[in-house]
Amino acid sequence: MRDLKHLIYFEDLLQEANNELVRKGKEDGNLCLGYTCYFMPEVLLDLPGCFAVRLRAPRCTSPDMASYYMSGRTCHYGRSLLERALEGGFNFIDAQLATETCTVTCRFQEHLEYMDGVINNATFKTEFTDVPFKKNENSIDHYRKQLRIHVLDFLSREFGVDVSDDAIRKAIEINNEVNDIITEIGNFRKLDNPTITGYEFSVITLVSMVCPKYLIVDKLRETLEELKTREPDDKPNYKIKVMLAGSENDDPDFIKLIEGCGALVVADRYCYGSLEARNHIDIADGEDPLTAVARHYLMTSQCARFMEQKEMRHRKKVLADYAKEYKADGIIVESNKFCEYWSFERMIDTIVLPRDFGYPVCSIEKEYINTASGQLRTRFQAFVESVELKKIQEGK
Amino acid sequence: MKAKKIIKRTLGLAAAAYAGLFCVFYFDLDGKLLYYVVEPFMKNHFDNMERRDPHTVPYDMLDSEYMDK
Amino acid sequence: MKKPDLSKLKEVDFKKAARDFVYGKPHGERRLGDLYIPKTGLYKHREWRGIKDTMYYFNNIWLYNYGMIVRDLMVYGGGPKGAVQFLKGTWRYRWMGQTYLTVMHWFDRCLEGMRGETLKASAWHFRGITSACLYQITGFFNRDLNIGGDPALRAKTIGTDETVWGGIIYPYMDQGGYYLPTQMIPYFVTCHCNNHTVLNYIDAVQAYGLPGDPCPMCQAEAGIYIEDDVPDSYVAMVTTNEACDSSVGTSVIQDWMMNKPLFAMPQVMQFDDDSVLENCAKEIEMAWRFIEEQTGLEFHWEELKKHIELQNKQTQFEREKWDVAANTHSYPINGVAQALYRIFYSQYGERPFWHDVDAKVKKIMEKCVNEDINTFPMTRHRVIAWSCAPLYYSAWCTWAYNCWGLNTIINMDSLMFDLDIRTDTYENCLMDIAKYHEWAPMRRMAVGGLQHIFELWENMEKFNCDMVMMYDQLQCKGMQGVVGLFEDEFRARNIHAIWMPHALPDKRTVPRSQIRQIINDYMFTVMGEEPLDPSLLDFDDIDSW
Repeated sequence: MRDLKHLIYFEDLLQEANNELVRKGKEDGNLCLGYTCYFMPEVLLDLPGCFAVRLRAPRCTSPDMASYYMSGRTCHYGRSLLERALEGGFNFIDAQLATETCTVTCRFQEHLEYMDGVINNATFKTEFTDVPFKKNENSIDHYRKQLRIHVLDFLSREFGVDVSDDAIRKAIEINNEVNDIITEIGNFRKLDNPTITGYEFSVITLVSMVCPKYLIVDKLRETLEELKTREPDDKPNYKIKVMLAGSENDDPDFIKLIEGCGALVVADRYCYGSLEARNHIDIADGEDPLTAVARHYLMTSQCARFMEQKEMRHRKKVLADYAKEYKADGIIVESNKFCEYWSFERMIDTIVLPRDFGYPVCSIEKEYINTASGQLRTRFQAFVESVELKKIQEGK
Repeated sequence: MKAKKIIKRTLGLAAAAYAGLFCVFYFDLDGKLLYYVVEPFMKNHFDNMERRDPHTVPYDMLDSEYMDK
Repeated sequence: MKKPDLSKLKEVDFKKAARDFVYGKPHGERRLGDLYIPKTGLYKHREWRGIKDTMYYFNNIWLYNYGMIVRDLMVYGGGPKGAVQFLKGTWRYRWMGQTYLTVMHWFDRCLEGMRGETLKASAWHFRGITSACLYQITGFFNRDLNIGGDPALRAKTIGTDETVWGGIIYPYMDQGGYYLPTQMIPYFVTCHCNNHTVLNYIDAVQAYGLPGDPCPMCQAEAGIYIEDDVPDSYVAMVTTNEACDSSVGTSVIQDWMMNKPLFAMPQVMQFDDDSVLENCAKEIEMAWRFIEEQTGLEFHWEELKKHIELQNKQTQFEREKWDVAANTHSYPINGVAQALYRIFYSQYGERPFWHDVDAKVKKIMEKCVNEDINTFPMTRHRVIAWSCAPLYYSAWCTWAYNCWGLNTIINMDSLMFDLDIRTDTYENCLMDIAKYHEWAPMRRMAVGGLQHIFELWENMEKFNCDMVMMYDQLQCKGMQGVVGLFEDEFRARNIHAIWMPHALPDKRTVPRSQIRQIINDYMFTVMGEEPLDPSLLDFDDIDSW
């Protein structure tokens, strides 16, 4: 397929957390607000005068200093973030809007709060928000109150940010523009012969999360226009289509690894994926924008943290529904080593998804950075072959 | 007389039982019985017990917040 | 036949031998390690503690508790029918048949070396725990449809995750409402009593694809369901998160295997924030509505109030105990008895057997204080134990006192649930119950900000401790996430802290002998001390209960 014009530029932006556009955003006088979790509504961090940066630690393969603080038996992602912070790689952040949603990223953010001078930035502050484990009205109300106190009031008090309803509506508008572009780009994956690879899509999605939106939206729009006329290869260079589901993954090379084994990644239900993060935010009639935000982020999330019986069960069906929608032949469920939520979720997915929904599952444990993994490559190749065989036998 | 004999015999038996129990206690005979005889027997029983296959447990998708009773 | 060498008799100090027989050997001469049969943890013979304490142990602990076990089974089980159910349950469930029959050896391990008032008081705590276990065991079996239990009893019974506080059932108890923490007996207590059983459950869940690194407690909690080893004794389930991601994850597996109506009542994480209380209170009310819907029982405010007030009495007595432990040398409860009794009764909720035990312990404690009895005279260091303890070696405290004079005064989990719940109005009661839920074991210190886990420093001061036993649960992501900060603080504050690695219920990762070796190494090389009882330094108990 014809190369996407801005792909290399996007790839370059992903090499550093403090990339060219983040620096530009700060030079323009904006506050840089860091976060790690979908439950910290990105839209509220894009209020006027602010921009959201979802934290990554690109190319961090050996978090040695962080392993002193957090031992070698915690999620590599959380440790890599701490390592990058200790190296000075996050000094550009003006505030960390933290959530106590998963244990290890919470501990990382507690380190930022507790250790003097880790973030070498005079304005730096950390603020924690409590996030409910359910999706009922009580939880939406609780979440809304928490966002009011620990995001809006915090930003207003500490940094003088305009947190009025109009400001939130404006931020929603900006986010929706990006959301809609990414969603439309993502829809090309639903084609019988998709005109975008999973790797390319993951790069595009990630840049939308780690760069100020007002500085990246034009290039995203141009990419969408390119894709409208992009022709697929005559002979597809993949054997099967897969959905990638699971825990934290912000490494496009992991998807490249999968696609190098003959699979095309057509759907991305994981932390840092688009299927939740890039949904259009709607404000119902008569609803204030903060309530709309609270409702939206709770209801769209399929995080393994939800504990209601219906939600625990339903999210397996959601995976199956996505797989059907994106015409996936199989599902790869990944979890970072030491991710407890997805270790349990992966166990049940591996049994229930094939048995009840007919989707073969490849269950994978991975590190934060995975390019050099021969073991993973072998697993993916075997999975591709088995699914391909199944397709042949079924006459597909 | 007969009553005295019965009482004497009962007390004697009780004393013997008490002494026997003390021996069980002091020489940890209860522990040894459990360790060498009871636990291996029970373990073998449980290891060979037929159990439900977890793969067959249904996983219904629910419409309501939780399943009906 | 060889003639006996009578010359050796001249070397024997008969006066000392007689004194040792009557009063028991002094601490430094006991050589308790020589009593063990290698590998098994069994005794060649039980300890001779002098005439008075040996006969006390035999009559008032060993015989008494065996007798009371039979009595409790008959009373809680409801007579001969209950006895039949008990036998059926013992045959059906591994956690019963392979585990709990060894209960008196659990007493032995935890009470080794104890004398006098400490022996009496600590044993009462174990009596309370045993009674509570039997109450639950008979509760399980009498209602269990798998073994012909009573459906009418089951219909009023709610199962819960073991970290749901037992007070959830208070408003319904006068109508026969019953609460069963589904993993407490099948999992949690088995690890203390006989640590072999839980390994089956951990292996079972891993055999179905769970990785080996999540918290092994949560693995085992899922594993008992995978193994179909949970009685069908309850009509619906109320679950919660504990302090960790794994406790949420295990609910997914449990829900699947159990396949019953389930209400999730999760606790907030950032619980210092008072604005969260309203959310918690609403969830508790929703849980009550769920219970009513599932069982047909009605909410009785007076019944709730009654049990809360009785529970408050327990909490107040606990503070009296802390006061004695912190400020005197007369606290008669050893480290393991303190830790296990406190977590059990506070988590399980108010019941009559706790009050019986408290009354007896109070009497002994008052005697010790009034007569200024030094209950642990060989104390060299006052230890505070922090973080989550090794369940398979809860008796380490007893060993550590006997071997090194390390007296574990208090532990982190004891300090949870430290709240008197108001009963003046329903609204105040509900808000306090919400807060009480948030202050549960582990969660009170482990989540909601580092200021909680660092309450170690103020508690060290409060309890006059000069040493920390830092439990290092290798698979607890929350606690692993702060090891470096603790190291920095220990260094900065010049605190003697021993890191005790373990894997909670799984003895295979760090065996007991390795835990002892770590403590030995610290005491020799850092503290430069010699053991009180060298026979306890190194012995093989790899296959013991």
